Amino acid sequence: MPVTFDGIPGDLVEVELDRGAMSLQVDETLYPLEAVYAAAYVFIDRCYVFLDKPSEGRIRVTLSGKKAKLEGDLARETVGEFANELLSCAWRAQIARDSRATIESVTARALSGARGAPSLDELEAFDFSEEAFDDPLGIAMSWEEKYAKKKKEGAAPAEEPAKADGGAAK
Amino acid sequence: MNLLQIRKPSTSFALPFKHRTVGKRVLITNTEGNFLLLQPDEFRAFAEGSIGRESELYKRLAERNFVRGAENQERMVERIQARKSFLSYGPNLHIIVVTLRCNETCVYCHASRANMDAVHTDLTKELAEKTVDKILATTNPNVTIEFQGGEPLVNFGVVKHIIEYALEANKKVGKQLEFTMVSNLSLMDDEKLEYLVKNKVQICTSIDGPEHIHDKQRKLPQASAHQKATYWIKRINQEYERIGLDPTLYHVEALLTTTREALPQWKAIVDTYVSLGCKALFLRPVDPFGFADKTGHRIEYPRKEYMHFYTSAVEYMLELNKQGVQILERFAAIFLTKILGGEDPNFLDIRNPCGAGIGQIAYNYDGKVFTCDEGRMLHEMGDSTFLIGDVETTSYRDLMGHETVRALAIASNLEAQPDCVNCTYQPYCGVCPVHNHKSQGTIFGRMRESTLCAVHKGIQDFLFEKLGEGDPATLETFKKWTTVRDRTHFLQSCAV
Amino acid sequence: MIELRFHRALYAEKAVDEAVETFTRHASFERAAEPTHLVVRISGRDADREQRIAHELANFALGLTIKAGGAMSS
Repeated sequence: MPVTFDGIPGDLVEVELDRGAMSLQVDETLYPLEAVYAAAYVFIDRCYVFLDKPSEGRIRVTLSGKKAKLEGDLARETVGEFANELLSCAWRAQIARDSRATIESVTARALSGARGAPSLDELEAFDFSEEAFDDPLGIAMSWEEKYAKKKKEGAAPAEEPAKADGGAAK
Repeated sequence: MNLLQIRKPSTSFALPFKHRTVGKRVLITNTEGNFLLLQPDEFRAFAEGSIGRESELYKRLAERNFVRGAENQERMVERIQARKSFLSYGPNLHIIVVTLRCNETCVYCHASRANMDAVHTDLTKELAEKTVDKILATTNPNVTIEFQGGEPLVNFGVVKHIIEYALEANKKVGKQLEFTMVSNLSLMDDEKLEYLVKNKVQICTSIDGPEHIHDKQRKLPQASAHQKATYWIKRINQEYERIGLDPTLYHVEALLTTTREALPQWKAIVDTYVSLGCKALFLRPVDPFGFADKTGHRIEYPRKEYMHFYTSAVEYMLELNKQGVQILERFAAIFLTKILGGEDPNFLDIRNPCGAGIGQIAYNYDGKVFTCDEGRMLHEMGDSTFLIGDVETTSYRDLMGHETVRALAIASNLEAQPDCVNCTYQPYCGVCPVHNHKSQGTIFGRMRESTLCAVHKGIQDFLFEKLGEGDPATLETFKKWTTVRDRTHFLQSCAV
Repeated sequence: MIELRFHRALYAEKAVDEAVETFTRHASFERAAEPTHLVVRISGRDADREQRIAHELANFALGLTIKAGGAMSS
């Protein structure tokens, strides 16, 4: 049976109580998916959380209490806290994008300052064969590797005669 | 007064700033931590950009890098670097829990103490040595080893072993080494005191105010915990004087944990500290860790009531200072050092980013390593989120590279935090992700609902109001509170 | 029997697979793939157990999806 809570507008957040669970519908243009994920994650220690898309641009979040049924004051508190967390996560996602350079620079400085340089033993034990990250732009490649790859793809060096059928000369 | 009330805000006059109404003035701050308290009409002129270049206000604003086109970028960079200088080094505070056993039972015990027969919670000498080896691997040239518990005097043999082993091991690495011990002092005796004084161990204790409050909150079987603690505070201070140390600088430090019962007792609490010869009082609110989580219904309080307690106590302390009594409030001293001094005193709980992992580490009696003491406290409550390794199996660099350490460095970066990112107090403030995790279920936290944020904002509002009032005696006291006199006696010699 | 319908835009397929794999000892699972959803049907000893497993499995799949950087990460 649909229920509305004081102070929680039905057109923004729809609340339904059913067997101790409730569903909120979230407008994706206001709350991006990454914010919904972040808020949902905060609640998975106290609630069972299920996400669905009832229609385009809407995400439905279903919460049910782990220890007690969500009803009465507990339901209102939970939905209210979820809404606050959602707003906080949406804003955080935005400012994390805006301040990315500062955050990365401070974090990198803090962690490198704390870790210090590796010892010779640590360098010896380091597994260099493991791919550290995807490198689509070839930033981590040596000049030789990059050059060889281009060559293979058809980037012929200037001394080589251009083939009549095209390749890099085109 | 806010920007919405400004009729024609200028987008080209001011450099980025944050503002907040404090009393009858408008406080403005910038990224480098400069501040100005403006009259409302001055703020209006600043926001509208209608200030003549020759005016006194223009000069004040330009000097502090608030005016576009008049900025001194070099000074800006220097100031920001000074405020973030702690980023270049790893943890300097290393907390060792030498036992969980404690002979006192405190109503709020954040450490989740164990009974005196729980000998399995004693740190062994073998693990203690491995802990010290890990500590001395830090990239920080300054190292403070803090003995905690439980009650560290219960396992005093291991405390001694750590001191002697660390002094010997440090001969190879040459850290600027210090030892501190947090103790209820009830198990102190002359022999232990002689050892601690001889080995330059700073001693810190808890005093929850006058005897009736202290003894109600800190139960010592068949004795008064207050009488024991105060006896030894006086005795230790006498010992410092006897060996020729300046009593205004060298004395036992004491900490208060503010419970609901303490709130109306602000005057008696300050008087107790002054009578014990303490020069500093840290008016810490209770945290939701350890037993305090369960006893919260009896000891907790709305932070508005805490702020009334805080401001009453500090006003009284300012009055005492006017009368020549030396007593400072720690929170105020930390914030004022950042506000007036332009530097960060590296208080790890109010730092941006916070000190979890990168500034402090907590080592448990069983060898487990945590990002901070609060993280270790949560572990004792069954939540091991902040466990980052073990002294036996995890290398120092792996501790620092742990994903939890990285996450906390990001989560406590105020540039990434809703509310903080726009807060006027951002240059001086800090958040505690462990507190957020415990109280709100997320390391990022929601500051508007955070009790810690309410306290930090409230204290800074109060301090800026006092700065705005401009009473010369208060300003003089504030200046003294930001003057750090190093206690060089407690530094161990560090020959490599 | 309980049917869980994981929307492909919200849950990573790998995460759902791993969650089912994790709970496989506790109930019987039947998988079905639809254009928009990954469907998991759970049959357990009794209704309460089915409900509990469905809840835990959904949380687990969501946690793994978020850890992986979202449904679209793979």
